[in-house]
Amino acid sequence: MSNTRILAALGLATSLALTACGSSGTPASETGGSPAQQADGGEFTLPTAAAYFNTSCPSVAVKPATDKELTYWSMWTKDEPQGKVVQYVADCFTKQTGVKVNIQWLGRAYLRQNLVPALNTDTVPDLFDQDFTGVKAAVVQAGGTQPVDDVLDMKTGDGTVREILPAPYWDTPAAKDEAGKLFSIPYIVLGDAWWYNKKQVAGLQAPKRMDELFSLFDSAKKAGRSAVALDGDISYYGAWFFEQAAARYVGPGGLAKAAQDKTGQAWKADPGFQKAAEYTSKIGSYLIDGWDAAKFPQIQQRWADGDADFLFMGSWGPTETREYLNKQGGGEAIDYGSFQYPMPEGATHDVIEVQEIGFSVTKKAKHPEAAKAFMAYFLNRAMLAGVPAVADSLTPRKDLPVPSDIADLKAALDDPAKTHMLFMDGLDGIAGGKFTEQVLFPADNDLLKGKITAPQFVDRLAAKTAEFWKTQH
Amino acid sequence: MAQTVQERAVTRGRALPVTGTPHLARKRRLFWPFVLPAIVLYVLFLVGPAIVTVALSFTRWSGAGTPRFAGLEEYRQMLGSESFGYAFANTLMYIAVGGIGTFLFAFLFAMVLRDMKASKLIRAILFFPNIVAPVAIGMFFGFVFRYNPSKQGLANFLLNLVGAPAAKFLQPESVVWVVIGALIWASAGFYITILMAAIDRIPPYLYEDADLCGATPWQKFRHITLPMIWDVVGIAGVLWTIGAVKIFEMVFVLAGPGTYLPPNKTWTLAIYVYDRSFGTQGTPEYGVACATAVVMIVLVTFLVLTLRWVMRRERLEY
Repeated sequence: MSNTRILAALGLATSLALTACGSSGTPASETGGSPAQQADGGEFTLPTAAAYFNTSCPSVAVKPATDKELTYWSMWTKDEPQGKVVQYVADCFTKQTGVKVNIQWLGRAYLRQNLVPALNTDTVPDLFDQDFTGVKAAVVQAGGTQPVDDVLDMKTGDGTVREILPAPYWDTPAAKDEAGKLFSIPYIVLGDAWWYNKKQVAGLQAPKRMDELFSLFDSAKKAGRSAVALDGDISYYGAWFFEQAAARYVGPGGLAKAAQDKTGQAWKADPGFQKAAEYTSKIGSYLIDGWDAAKFPQIQQRWADGDADFLFMGSWGPTETREYLNKQGGGEAIDYGSFQYPMPEGATHDVIEVQEIGFSVTKKAKHPEAAKAFMAYFLNRAMLAGVPAVADSLTPRKDLPVPSDIADLKAALDDPAKTHMLFMDGLDGIAGGKFTEQVLFPADNDLLKGKITAPQFVDRLAAKTAEFWKTQH
Repeated sequence: MAQTVQERAVTRGRALPVTGTPHLARKRRLFWPFVLPAIVLYVLFLVGPAIVTVALSFTRWSGAGTPRFAGLEEYRQMLGSESFGYAFANTLMYIAVGGIGTFLFAFLFAMVLRDMKASKLIRAILFFPNIVAPVAIGMFFGFVFRYNPSKQGLANFLLNLVGAPAAKFLQPESVVWVVIGALIWASAGFYITILMAAIDRIPPYLYEDADLCGATPWQKFRHITLPMIWDVVGIAGVLWTIGAVKIFEMVFVLAGPGTYLPPNKTWTLAIYVYDRSFGTQGTPEYGVACATAVVMIVLVTFLVLTLRWVMRRERLEY
């Protein structure tokens, strides 16, 4: 569920960029390199959205030997920024290789509505894309993908995929099937953070400990504002507070392990869960009035209006709120700042949440060679630049400039001291999302509302987890 | 009177000769060419899928691969799910409370609309919400019931105006009642239109007679209107029941953010089917979804038969 929201947000979030990329057209030339973005001395500057669509098509490093076409089912729609970038890269790929790319624009819900039912037939795409969690749960588990490890050693035109993508972005269980083979190569990265307006909370030093975070909240209240904004009707937004704290106690995989413990006792075995619940309960007391009767995106809009100082949100937060302010008119603008969830007392795991969107190849693909060549070509710096330049989103490459609003987040994601952890530790994918729906979200909501205490929360998780697994296949 | 009609029908039936005239023979020859396409389409797109749905409810199937026979396992999964419990209870509540509210509202208007000036205009206005998409109505009520101390929605604005504190209408604990209210508001016009069409057929002299006797509007409704439109009320009840079992969009949009599913406490059976088919993060559970669809069919059949039995009565002819 959360990923549906994430992906829907991506579409919404980037509509601002749409205005700037309305002139997407045919690739400018067929020469190698991308001189428009390559300053003297090799410094790469991000093109404007409009300029991106005049980027010269870099030559392909891997040309399919036999395939003359490939079919790609896209999670994007043709008119959204990401769709325009994909179309431009596909056009370049066709120009450079002669391989025709047949794209079907299917939107976010296509994985279960189109692709999974098609796996029974021979009418499957060669290439498709979605977030790791979604692809793994819906397609990989159904045996619908083939390994793409060989793409790592394919040339992109400016290095092999392995050389240009930092290992934490692909060498992760989230991108691998049960046999340990890669099923996806990422091209968009999502993260999350505490967001604030530098104009409203001037001179903020990123808190390192939870007591420093609560001091910031107290300052907000003293100033007559709410501390934390939360659209409570999106359950996983509310669950972030607990899950972020707990992950720092139990490390990546710890939450997922507890959720899958059939006895439910794992929640009680590690005291970190109760400590995380205590912090969550305390954050609940700082939430903006009305968060529990919210209708998304009203509360994050109240944050944009300055009613609250802090908003815990994904990397799409700035673009969504900026879009709102632009529509409101009046020239209001936020100077976005962000920081990561501080380390709770006694926690030892410096984790950072990440979700990635990547390309996968179906098991029955008729043109896997062309599909893989396209995956490598897409990661060429000049081509991938469209993701930040047009869609205002992060990529896994380290050497691409980042939009200033999300630069702090990108720096945190690239920080080698931090351990990458899948969004929500993959809890939202456990039992097809039913675990969070029936166990975690209702309990978390009650904890935030003060209906139950931290020990009661842990007891409830233990009891409900055991009860939940008794009814599963 | 009813017997007379029946006798007439029987007489008409008897009047049809077994062999018939050349005209009737031609009619009979045309019977199948005209009926067959409808039967084929009906079987292909309604009966067939319904049978497949029942069959799939006894299998485990993710949409890919071959469905595997699972006996009653998918039903056990469904019944063991807390979300299904909420969905079932909420659906019954929407049918019962929403139905009672809608028909009370409709009867109230039926009592007064007949004697009102501009009755047709008022009927048209009352019907209006019915032509608006439920999704739009859900979004509209999302704004009406907004809770924001600095910028309240219309409902809380009015509460504040009379000195009452603002209420958190859209919190999961109370949003079901808001949805019921929205359903009544959106549906009443449709049922008022149906009931008023029946009321218009009642001979005016019955009301004139009642007026001469000094009957109150309630007495006229109780002793003339209701008995004379009883059959139509029964049909309207059946229509409401069938419609209410399928409630989806209004709850989806009003109880949740609209971009994904609302909290499971607010689900209906239709939302549960959707979630197990397409809303899940994992592989679709078409077996459970089909089992739930079977429950919906059984539920609606039971409720409709019960309703017809409770409302059975000798038909009045006038």
